[in-house]
Amino acid sequence: MKALGYFSIKKPEVVHETIEEETVIVNLENGNYYSLRNAGMAIWNLIENGANFAEIYQALSDRYQGTPEEIQKGIHDLLIVLQKEGLLQVTSTGPCLNPSPPLNSEARAVKPFFEYPVLEKFSDMQELLLLDPIHEVDEKGWPHKAEIE
Amino acid sequence: MAAQSGNRIAGKGLIPKGALEEEQAALFQYLLAIYQRALQTSGFGCHRDFLIGERCVRLSFAGEGLMHSLVPALAHLETSKPHTPALTVYLWDSSSTKTDMPRMVSQYLNSLGEWWHHLGTRGEICELTSHRIHAAYHLGPNILSLIDKQEGVALYWVKDSKLLPYYEKGSPLRTILHWWADCESYQFVHGAAVGYASGGVLLAGKGGSGKSTTALSCLEAGFLYASDDYCLVRTTPKAHVFSVYNTAKLKGEEDLRRFPRFASWVSNRDRTETEKAVIFLQQYLPQSLTIGFPIKAILTPKFGSGNDTYIRPISPGAILSALAPSTLFQLPGSGEASFQTLAKLTRQVPGYLLELGKDISKIPEAMAAFLLS
Repeated sequence: MKALGYFSIKKPEVVHETIEEETVIVNLENGNYYSLRNAGMAIWNLIENGANFAEIYQALSDRYQGTPEEIQKGIHDLLIVLQKEGLLQVTSTGPCLNPSPPLNSEARAVKPFFEYPVLEKFSDMQELLLLDPIHEVDEKGWPHKAEIE
Repeated sequence: MAAQSGNRIAGKGLIPKGALEEEQAALFQYLLAIYQRALQTSGFGCHRDFLIGERCVRLSFAGEGLMHSLVPALAHLETSKPHTPALTVYLWDSSSTKTDMPRMVSQYLNSLGEWWHHLGTRGEICELTSHRIHAAYHLGPNILSLIDKQEGVALYWVKDSKLLPYYEKGSPLRTILHWWADCESYQFVHGAAVGYASGGVLLAGKGGSGKSTTALSCLEAGFLYASDDYCLVRTTPKAHVFSVYNTAKLKGEEDLRRFPRFASWVSNRDRTETEKAVIFLQQYLPQSLTIGFPIKAILTPKFGSGNDTYIRPISPGAILSALAPSTLFQLPGSGEASFQTLAKLTRQVPGYLLELGKDISKIPEAMAAFLLS
């Protein structure tokens, strides 16, 4: 699995708010907005507080029941999606994470199961941004910002 | 491209933040001098004062062109009592004042039409944006808007007032009023608002969600009307909405059939195939217009499949998603601060889904029961 270290939310283009059980994220640059819940919301809030991959994993392992592989994959996949959507940037690399030993049954019993985090994306208001109000579209379609790598 | 503030790179070195703002302020004064020249050349100058959000906003027109186009939407808020304005907007167009923009300015603005990457995603002129000065160029109608927040003055220019689109006449000066509202602890919001003097609802959602249908059906039933698309909100001490425009807009023949009484009041009846139908309610129902009211709830409308209208609780996150993107994406320069205000609003008052039935006559009944419960 690719090593992922520290991350930062891309400001000022990205604004966000956690309200009750949901994090609402708005990308002012591309006109998309998003929703995160449960583990996804927890991951986002940990990123906002400066956690690196290892710290995010540790926090989620403490909070949820799941195998180390499940949790690491969930975190990793969400981080990749958040970067692709232009919401996050990697600020430095960190060490690859070593799996923690499994919990005993008593400790596992009180925690909810880890659910694979999903980033809900909404693109229905993109036309409100004045990306190209008067020019013809090119062969790629509506003018777009540079692809996120 | 996000609006920039602070330092920028020019040549080999950084220009300090203070020097950048000084340059921008100097350019603002240069454009203000052009307004003064337009005032002299046209021989027509006029101040009109409006109470927006309990503050006086003065519109100072050079030439008559823009006055006839922009005042009707704000007419319900006009005041003749003496006030010290919190904001003075200087407005002119080159055509009616017979005063062209200097060639350099004109060419710069034309270049923005070709090199539109110099504009932010919401029309912000990045090089002219800082903490003190904001500037935007709305391509298409080619409206230049600037504000000097420190001095409480703004500029609004177009080449020809006769070419202003219907949406600018229906909801004028949105960009400038949004920038000004930010200074005054108000927030410009994309939303409709109807209710009673004791309180009402803010209707949030993207275009086509049913805000106007709800607002107009409630207006017809005798509710007070504050907005069908843009309004001001304040969150302290409590959530409150303030009217800005007295316009209502109908889209297409279906809306005109739904509201036959309003159809006869449409100001642009000959162009409704390409434009939304715009009604200036101050001319026909001034008694139904309100300066504002407390916000009791935020509703997000959605067209349902049944005949009846229902109102059901939904999460604050869903309300914020309905309210924030359509607001932020239309207001140049809005960002974190605006988003925080909208989030605060969604925490202050409960949120509901307004599922609209096909029988729109039942919408006001559902709304009245909701507000009185």
